[in-house]
Amino acid sequence: MTATMQSKTEAADASRRGRRAPGTARKVRSRGGSLQFGHWWWALPGIALVIAIHYVATGIGGYFAFTNWTGIGSFKVVGLANFEAIFKDPTKLGALMNTLFLAFSSVFIGNVAGLVIALGLNRVLKTRYILRTLFFMPVVLSPLATAYIWKYIFDFDGPINVFLRSIGAEDLAKPWLADPQWAIWTVLVVLVWGSTGFAMVIFMAGLASVPVEIEEAAAIDGANLWQRFWNVTLPGIRPAVAIATTLGIVQGLRVFDPIMALTGGGPAGATETLATQVYKQAFALGNFGGGAALALVLAVIILFFAVIQQRLTRSNPED
Amino acid sequence: MTQHRFRGLKVGVLAIPTAAALALTGCSGSTTTGTEGGSKEFSLTFATSNTIESPFQELAEQYMAAHPDVKITFNAQPNDSYDQTVRTQLQAGNASDVIVTSPGSGTGRSILPLVEANFLEPLDDSAKSLVPVGSEALFGKDGKVYGQAPEITVVGMVANETAAKAAGVSEFPADFAGLEKQCSTLSSSGKSFFALAGAAAPNTGLMAMSLAATRVYAEDPKWNEKRSNKETTFADSQGWKDSLEAVKKMNDAGCFQKGAAGAGFDAITKGLASGTSVAGFIPGPSWKQLKTAAADSEFVVRALPAQDSSDKGFVYASANYAFSINAASKNKEAAKAFLAWAAEPEQTKTFAEIDGALPVSGLESYDFGSGAYKNVGDLIKEGNYGPLPNSQWPNSAVYDALATGVQGLLTGQKSVDQVLQAMDAAWG
Repeated sequence: MTATMQSKTEAADASRRGRRAPGTARKVRSRGGSLQFGHWWWALPGIALVIAIHYVATGIGGYFAFTNWTGIGSFKVVGLANFEAIFKDPTKLGALMNTLFLAFSSVFIGNVAGLVIALGLNRVLKTRYILRTLFFMPVVLSPLATAYIWKYIFDFDGPINVFLRSIGAEDLAKPWLADPQWAIWTVLVVLVWGSTGFAMVIFMAGLASVPVEIEEAAAIDGANLWQRFWNVTLPGIRPAVAIATTLGIVQGLRVFDPIMALTGGGPAGATETLATQVYKQAFALGNFGGGAALALVLAVIILFFAVIQQRLTRSNPED
Repeated sequence: MTQHRFRGLKVGVLAIPTAAALALTGCSGSTTTGTEGGSKEFSLTFATSNTIESPFQELAEQYMAAHPDVKITFNAQPNDSYDQTVRTQLQAGNASDVIVTSPGSGTGRSILPLVEANFLEPLDDSAKSLVPVGSEALFGKDGKVYGQAPEITVVGMVANETAAKAAGVSEFPADFAGLEKQCSTLSSSGKSFFALAGAAAPNTGLMAMSLAATRVYAEDPKWNEKRSNKETTFADSQGWKDSLEAVKKMNDAGCFQKGAAGAGFDAITKGLASGTSVAGFIPGPSWKQLKTAAADSEFVVRALPAQDSSDKGFVYASANYAFSINAASKNKEAAKAFLAWAAEPEQTKTFAEIDGALPVSGLESYDFGSGAYKNVGDLIKEGNYGPLPNSQWPNSAVYDALATGVQGLLTGQKSVDQVLQAMDAAWG
């Protein structure tokens, strides 16, 4: 009853707001115009900072990709020499492969795990709020700090090897982060651990929009659990899948701090990525031009995959 | 009129982000507070990698105590980002007045590239007099000196003599075969001859350079000059091949602690202080810091045994650090007065004592006696020493190729030839 009355009152108000008294039209228009002008000016500091920080800085950085600048002193424009060096250097190509492997693997595993957890914690389970917090915790914690904890866990004298030795599997104990075969997988474990909670939250938001009635109707029609998920739930959360995978790929391609803390790109470049190489070339080895060129390559790769991924996952071609 | 307003608006639109960018990047000129000429204030920046007070800070505090009208602001920077920080500050014009640099061109804080970019001020004759013989080219160019050496650092290995004796190493091996034998013996008893930070590039690089001391630089101290003149390459050098082969042999003989490939610097401190390892490839002055962690142990600096006992011995002993003055400093007079004071024999002796190094002046009459440097005294007195090779290399990428390459040798990812070729490629 209250709701009906309220909606009637709102409708009346709206009708009153829509009516214009004779002679007031010009005044309203002019007030609207001044408001628009004011909005533009108010945005100027923000626009200026965005231009300065994002576009001017990025543009200058992009320019240095075509120079031999060492980070200090004078420099010469060297054309595409830095890019040629990148594609001739096996270390850089290895870093590119590692970047793609870590980005796509962490997105795939992280999203599958995130979806499973989101489905499991969506309804029914009494402890779901506590579990959601626990699974989301890695996203909130500092990646650098947690990477150091993982480094301790994977250390030669760390808990994993202590456990292996305690069960008599001493032969399996190894310096995980310095093993050429295992180092990249240990990094992947840490990345998946950090990204699963993020995917879970996005999927949970998506699941909230899937009507329970349709699921119930499908169940009454005899659809089993898998059929209900595949034909009802998954189409319903398609926008969430698009967001989670796009953000995951962008995040995965530019991952830096966990790798620097865990392995520093080692052993002998086995876990080097484009982002760690950008840092090393530009700041540790004084090859700012080469580092800027690598950063540009990384930016193009991120843009390419983000666009492709968006096109593949959008539900409506007209979106 | 309208056009004028629009032009003003355009200028404003361009000026605001530019000003904001400059403000954000700190490009606002020198931040020194003193006045031209008469100021007694200046700032000093140096690298720190632990909680122990830096010898540079301790010396500067002594200067302030002796000169109460002088105020020095300390800008300590973490060692791992020191090069980058100093370069950025110099580029931005807000670096400290006195900067701790390194001789040569092999690192980000090296004097020669900073001189090339006009960031450093030429120093007085007192600094010139402290340049170690044979290292003149590393301290400046055109007869000018841009760095003042505060001490002589010996780089070979630091050994825990007490732990060595306890582990049954009664006599230090005289040749490489003896070293391999000792390694096997210690390995079988659960200990290791060397504590290695295999995941820390500076340590693996230092090990390879230590092995090259007797295999390359003892017979040919001017090898770097030949490499610069393209008369030789790393890949063609038998001495460098032997040095890297020695890394593999040491690994096979169990010279390093278990899990060495993934270990950091803490493994060296832990291993040497606890006595589970006998020696480490670390700069000589580290003996003093280790002593604070294990007061009951005796730490000494040693040269790595040569391939054969009859081979010429050689150790790296040079000024690895230097005081330099920022060319954009507004407190040059105060900074120069400090450097002149630090160059006096009394202060060079004090600094060496604080840091546990050798004094930069009076080395020929230095009494090696029974101190930490007793085992390298003969080599130094006979002149069988030289600067760290990478100080003469053209850029830090060569050392990085060596250091990461040695990691690859330890894990089996790389061959000796691959590492040497990568070093040649990095040389340019």
